[in-house]
Amino acid sequence: MTGLVQAVPLRRRRPVARAVEGQELALVVVIALLWLALSLGTDTFLTGSNLRNIVFGVAAIAIIGIGMTPVIVTAGIDVSVGSMAAVVMVVVAKLIRDVGAPAPLAVLVAVALGLALGCLNGLLVSLGGIHPIIVTFGTLNVFRFVALRIFDSKQVTGVPDTLAWFGGGEAGRGLLGVPHAWWLAMVLAALMWCYMRYWATGRHWYAIGNDPNAARLAGIKVRRRTITAYALTGFFVGLAACVLIGSGGLVQQNAGTGLELQVIAAVVIGGTSILGGRGTVLGTLLGALLVGTLTSAITLLGWRSELTELFIGVFILVAVGVDLVRERRRRTR
Amino acid sequence: MRMSKRAMALVAVGLVGALAMSGCSKKSGGSSGASAGSGKDGKQIAVAFVPKLQGIPYFEAMNTGGQKAAKDLGINWIYKGSTTADPGAQTDIVKSLIQQKVDVLVVAPNDPDSMAPVLADAKAKGIHVMTSDTDAPNSVREVFVNQATAEGIGRGLTDALLEKMGSQGKYAIVSCGQTAANLNSWIAVQKQYTAEKYPKAQIVDTVYAGEDEAKAVSMAKDLMNAHADLTGLVGECTSSAPGVAKAVREAGKIGKVFTVGLGTPQAMKPYLADGSSTAAILWDVESLGYLTAWAGQQIAQGKSFETSNKVGSDLADVKYFSDQKMLLLGDPLRITKENVDQFNY
Repeated sequence: MTGLVQAVPLRRRRPVARAVEGQELALVVVIALLWLALSLGTDTFLTGSNLRNIVFGVAAIAIIGIGMTPVIVTAGIDVSVGSMAAVVMVVVAKLIRDVGAPAPLAVLVAVALGLALGCLNGLLVSLGGIHPIIVTFGTLNVFRFVALRIFDSKQVTGVPDTLAWFGGGEAGRGLLGVPHAWWLAMVLAALMWCYMRYWATGRHWYAIGNDPNAARLAGIKVRRRTITAYALTGFFVGLAACVLIGSGGLVQQNAGTGLELQVIAAVVIGGTSILGGRGTVLGTLLGALLVGTLTSAITLLGWRSELTELFIGVFILVAVGVDLVRERRRRTR
Repeated sequence: MRMSKRAMALVAVGLVGALAMSGCSKKSGGSSGASAGSGKDGKQIAVAFVPKLQGIPYFEAMNTGGQKAAKDLGINWIYKGSTTADPGAQTDIVKSLIQQKVDVLVVAPNDPDSMAPVLADAKAKGIHVMTSDTDAPNSVREVFVNQATAEGIGRGLTDALLEKMGSQGKYAIVSCGQTAANLNSWIAVQKQYTAEKYPKAQIVDTVYAGEDEAKAVSMAKDLMNAHADLTGLVGECTSSAPGVAKAVREAGKIGKVFTVGLGTPQAMKPYLADGSSTAAILWDVESLGYLTAWAGQQIAQGKSFETSNKVGSDLADVKYFSDQKMLLLGDPLRITKENVDQFNY
């Protein structure tokens, strides 16, 4: 157990984070420059309907990212969120279409189901001692199987607009014309940011990510904190599923496919270290916003669609590269 | 501890990459049939159909038609596909069917080029090879069952949309897979036909949303934002057709922006009802499945096709084009709010 020897007091290794970390500031600058360029370059970017489309398009990713951030901060990962979203979506879609469930019940079922699946992930990760990517890769397939069984070889068509409050239409618009889904993401991110910054149990996630053995010696309930992170992710997946169903219509079998990669991209671009121990939900929100801006800008400018993938790839590599350089510098200090 | 953490991270990054490429595949066989349709050696003929993906109403309806034909003709119909429209996952399923030594292998390829060598391999093992719904033109396939010609669909879509747009204005296309040969051939016709017949109309952009309805909605909204004077949208496949209609509905532009698309009737019904979709262009998908199974039986028995074939009561005159080795189902249908209830898929 080399961890015992290397156990270093949390404070000295990692002073309490500054309000805004370096990468977040860089992201704000990049997004601001991008928005400025697009506003000047096109007369269609800076319009209500376009900005609404951008933030709505990434709202579900951002909401799940709020849960994924603490998971990655504990040096874990949850690749099952896409399949999990599919399970919640098909259950809730069938519930409101076939049973006529009202919105509050639908949301309750969505978050309860998400929470339950998240708890399962958390339990398996914390009890098994296997790397989270393996565990959640397993549950990714299991959840997808469950979703497909519930789909029963048919996509769900004619889903009513019960959850339109979360959707991208007129009924989903809130204060200042901003979609409720994005308000939800911002409010939840603010709460999580405060929790991770000021609450002791929130700080424990960082300690676990830096060195789980040291964290355990310091009296942190590593297992319980780990389960909490995965359970919260499940809860947020439940909410995101409501956003994805939104104003209804069609829920396809491939719902949520690849969602995990989009969420992880937002978190990583947002400056959360894939090695654990560093990162904030504010960064994740900005990461999602950057991805959304890029995706929309490509279409607005009439560029080829596949350039979106290129730019997102480059941003991930830059973000991870910056993180590794910073990690190395910190270690040699 | 430090090193192992880094190693873990490397494993993690590698696995995330692998994830992106993996698809989960679902298997289910549908078989039915009696003893009448036997091959040369007296065994029941096994015709296996591999759709682009399983579980969407389009291919499920094709399966329904295939099962019906199997019952009528007494052959064994196998239907097996992946749950994602992923060329790799599809190739794996085709390979497993080759191992099972089916008599006839029918594929609707996601990527015709990567499917071609696999089909050649099947042929080398003595399996008859066909394509249906989507062709693999540079392959060894013996016949292609075409649902409609590219001209029929491209013109059908263009006419339905431009009638509503008053033969003029700007429109855009939301397509799906960038490598889907049939979608691309329809788009080529739409471009050419629009330029010839509707000189005052213009296609301003073509974007690709994959088989993802939510992405189609988002991209359609981007297109409406990018072109304020846009009055038309085409959804080129069964996920983007409802997608563009939903975008118009959500943007509150019903009656200002018109949409048409290749949509399945039940999925399009709510949009046809409120006018966010003008029409869906499609063919009778169950009949396509029926024709596919019939054609499989014909080639397994070594029979050749006539210029006009009587396949069944609903398919009295199916044309065969020997120069392209292609069977043609017929003219596409225009599905509107008036006739949408005739279709239960």
